[in-house]
Amino acid sequence: MARNVAESARKFLLLGQCVPTVKQNATKIRVKRLELDENLLMYFRKDTFYYCHDPEKKCKTGDIVLIKALPQKLTKLITHEVEEVVYPFGDITDPITGKKVMKERYREDVDKQAEIFGKLKSAFNYEAAPPRGWQDGKKDFTTKPTYTKFHVFDENDPYAI
Amino acid sequence: MLRRFTSSIIQSRGIKHQVNIKWVRPEYKPSYDPEKSGDLEGVPQISKSSLGQDYALSEEMKNASEAVQKLFSVAFLGQKEYHTLVRKELMDRVKRHQYDECTAETRIARLTGQIRYLQEYMEKYPRNNKMKKVVQEIIDKRKKLLKYLRQYDYKKFEWLLEKLNIEYKAHPDSYHKLSRKESLRKLTEMHCEDIRNKKLADYRNLLESQQGPFLKQKLEALKFIRSEQIELQIPISVTEQDIKKVEEQLEEWTIREGIKQEAKRKRRNLILNVD
Repeated sequence: MARNVAESARKFLLLGQCVPTVKQNATKIRVKRLELDENLLMYFRKDTFYYCHDPEKKCKTGDIVLIKALPQKLTKLITHEVEEVVYPFGDITDPITGKKVMKERYREDVDKQAEIFGKLKSAFNYEAAPPRGWQDGKKDFTTKPTYTKFHVFDENDPYAI
Repeated sequence: MLRRFTSSIIQSRGIKHQVNIKWVRPEYKPSYDPEKSGDLEGVPQISKSSLGQDYALSEEMKNASEAVQKLFSVAFLGQKEYHTLVRKELMDRVKRHQYDECTAETRIARLTGQIRYLQEYMEKYPRNNKMKKVVQEIIDKRKKLLKYLRQYDYKKFEWLLEKLNIEYKAHPDSYHKLSRKESLRKLTEMHCEDIRNKKLADYRNLLESQQGPFLKQKLEALKFIRSEQIELQIPISVTEQDIKKVEEQLEEWTIREGIKQEAKRKRRNLILNVD
């Protein structure tokens, strides 16, 4: 069973989600699968993690991406490469109308509602907003995994809680 | 008797420490601490003479005498009114429209206001355990709301962090009590990694320093072989391109070596200057 999965993983493209990692030049991708328990005849979720070669940092934490196996292993860890970012995290587009979506509503509808009530200057402006990543490492610490603080170092690591 | 006494003083059994690592346990921080909650600023500045939220709207209050205005100021109305103003101040930073009360950003702003004045309160009364729990719950709730906002609208999430001056850190894999053993293990691992990296770097330097002389030798040998082959009129196995390639490699190496030497000299000068 496990061998079959590994073999088919080598042949096909895989769809997974990018998770925080400390590795440079590589991204960690979580691929969710359902595995059949033959005794219970029930499917259970099983996560597999792949390290993908990605020197340009194409994908950020949370993105849904397509990955492909490299013809040869790059290192002991890096076996795949990022093919394409399918769904950027937190920037959802409705596939039918092509409009941007916020939760269950279109962004333009939300804006329209605010305009009817009288939009204030303090409201968030989507057009003027910079693309994702401008707070990365300043106030938004999500690119690397956080951990419990275990020692007092000279430099304070923001990822230590 | 004596043995028992000495063993209680000097620990004879246990782990033998071959690596000299000094572990410093991180200082205890209560859960409401701004460093843990991620608040980068305190309570917004609101003067004690400002009017209560509802009284400020009144027409008569504008023309009222100073004594009356003083009576209806926050200092006289009490903490509750003051806290309302704190929440309002933070909510005004992110409000979409005048009646906006329950969108994600205003909810987060309101909770932020609550957290900030409660943090100030907890500084004063750190033994109020009931309030400590309340603050913790509010902080968790805000974190959850931020997490959801991040999932469905990343741009707004980042904008909100900037506006309200909050830090967002994702949850670690596990929240557990810190143990000495775990910390020492991690520190030892880091120490080993350092040693490994240093050895690898040294070895790399050694190999790179040997590259130059070898390339020079190779270049001479190739030139010699080529000239001999031309002289003896036998098929030529060394092309011009091969020689050119080696020359280029040698040039690159000399540039790299020059940079390295420069850096080394600078470092030495720095050390001498410090001494």
